[in-house]
Amino acid sequence: MAKALPIPGLNPGTRFADAAAASVEVRAREVFAQAHGVLDISDIERVHDMRVATRRLRAAMEVFAACFSKSEHKRLLREVKALADVLGERRDPDVAIAALEGIAAELAAADRPGIEALTDEMRRGQGRGNDRLAAALEELGRSRLEERLLALAQTARRPAASVNGRVPA
Amino acid sequence: MKPRKVKGLDPDGPLAENARRIVEVRMAELRSFAPRALESGEQETLHDMRIAAKRLRYVLEMSEPAFGPAADDGARAAKKLQDVLGEIHDCDEMLPRVRAHTELLRTQDAAALQEAAAGAADLEPGAAREAPNRARYRGLESLGTYLTARRAVLYESFVRRWEKMESAGFAAELLEGLNPPEPAPAAPSDGAAA
Repeated sequence: MAKALPIPGLNPGTRFADAAAASVEVRAREVFAQAHGVLDISDIERVHDMRVATRRLRAAMEVFAACFSKSEHKRLLREVKALADVLGERRDPDVAIAALEGIAAELAAADRPGIEALTDEMRRGQGRGNDRLAAALEELGRSRLEERLLALAQTARRPAASVNGRVPA
Repeated sequence: MKPRKVKGLDPDGPLAENARRIVEVRMAELRSFAPRALESGEQETLHDMRIAAKRLRYVLEMSEPAFGPAADDGARAAKKLQDVLGEIHDCDEMLPRVRAHTELLRTQDAAALQEAAAGAADLEPGAAREAPNRARYRGLESLGTYLTARRAVLYESFVRRWEKMESAGFAAELLEGLNPPEPAPAAPSDGAAA
């Protein structure tokens, strides 16, 4: 699993909204940097890394929610969750297949046909998950999600009173 | 499970103060699931507790620049808890699949035997020897038994871990560790010392 990149320049006194902007920027870039090769089912760690990066982004968006425009934050968080779900649809069978193969290797030969039958069913689920992930990745490009996430991060750098459309007195 | 709302966050305030508020709420949220999780071990409560541990872990990881090693230690403890609850969740997810798959094979076999005996007045027990999936049941039964036992072992492990964390006062210790350091007493001026 890829280690999370550090968020530069944070300290206890950093303005919360600036920490929000920096965190969402770094975590959003991490997600898209992990997108290469995730459809390769012979290397299941790639989809895992992208899923973990998506979880970190989602967590940053939730922790720092108070720093962003409500409507745009809600819309983008929903899209990030949808991406996490589709990555999960691929990742869950990956994990189940690896676990079943490990268990089958430890059991008696007579036990294996049953476990292999279940593993085959999981492989079909993995294939369906991969198809959905391929479609979601295409949609990611069209929807310019990364660009919109980076733009959202920038809004937190403004003074708090203007974030939700209010003008400072 | 929707996270509890954190009140009083100030985007213009310092990271440490805001992060501490979030950690307090996430810690309370995690602990609120413990009584039911320890009493019943039911799937849904353990799942909610896992999500709560994950949320606490993430906010601690994110606030490490504000709190240093105390946040790291807390994040590690939350991750260990999340991991054991995750393994229990995997068993809870896999067991119904094993049962459903066994049922599917049984339905297929029954249909195959019925078809083979079309027009017969009755079905001899020996017909079961010809069931197409007959070699598959044993492995699925072994798998189901293993997962049931593993789930029970993991649950006991979770209970021990949680009781140890609580008896060590991990929540109070973590929150104490997130307090800003006391300012050092001002050194007496030359004049005062004279």
